[in-house]
Amino acid sequence: MRKSYVINDIKINEFDALIRITVEMSKYLYPYIREILKSKEDNEENSVIWNDFNNRFIELINERFNVDSMRVKKLLNQAENDEIIIKSLLILSFCISNHGYDKLKSFLFDF
Amino acid sequence: MQNKLSFNQSSASLEIIGLPDYSINENKDQISIISQWKLTIINKPLIEGKMEHLHPIMNAFYIYSNLLIKNVIPIYESKLIDIKADNLHIHNVVLKSSKPNVKPLILKIGNSSLSDIINCFDQLNESSKVRIKKTVVSNYTPKEGTFGLNNKVKVFNFIMPPFIAICSLIVFSSTFIYFYNPVEDKEKNALINTK
Repeated sequence: MRKSYVINDIKINEFDALIRITVEMSKYLYPYIREILKSKEDNEENSVIWNDFNNRFIELINERFNVDSMRVKKLLNQAENDEIIIKSLLILSFCISNHGYDKLKSFLFDF
Repeated sequence: MQNKLSFNQSSASLEIIGLPDYSINENKDQISIISQWKLTIINKPLIEGKMEHLHPIMNAFYIYSNLLIKNVIPIYESKLIDIKADNLHIHNVVLKSSKPNVKPLILKIGNSSLSDIINCFDQLNESSKVRIKKTVVSNYTPKEGTFGLNNKVKVFNFIMPPFIAICSLIVFSSTFIYFYNPVEDKEKNALINTK
């Protein structure tokens, strides 16, 4: 999915390290993640937060992902990407505890 | 004097009230015998209960959050609590009282409150000061919802591609098939022999 000409399979220790970094980042970013989730609950009140987040998300996907891929196209489609974004944010918000690493790993295998 | 412990996360707060188990020489600030617990969510009615209610409620939230992330329609139903998704952002929680003639308490919580509640339960699970039965999320499957349908769809998806492939092979190959006609063959042989 990434914009890369080299196909490198991720190694198990790199995968573990990425999960650990993600968990630590989500602990740190939990207040922001929560606000983004909340902004979608009250569509009229806080839609600015959601729109800002969604625009930045699409900007980053365009910049770093292979936009010719069908899966990436699905991420860019604003009508379809809501569910993917919400579920991803929920996964991050559920994994901020000390056992977040194990939780995120099991969520990723189920996703 | 009872011990009180609070676990807070943004809009949710979980308070555990109870006593240590002195029979196993526990410290006086520990809680092993929970007499009461309270879950406070901002702008929502207070949820409280006894020890026997805490584990099923924690289990319900954990199972529901798991179903929400997997691609299954998230529905959890039990004697004590029902949780159902209204839409992608709002969840309907129905708490049924164990006392007779008490109407169930209906709460609508958003994703943000749901994650706060889950994080409060995580803090409780990880706390060394409270000894409770650890919540292990089992492979709960909802009674209703699309899970049954999903299985049917999976079987359908598994069977249909080879079936279509075989049918299309028969249809296409039948147009090019050469039917052996013994009468025609005999006539041809006769012609060759006369030459």
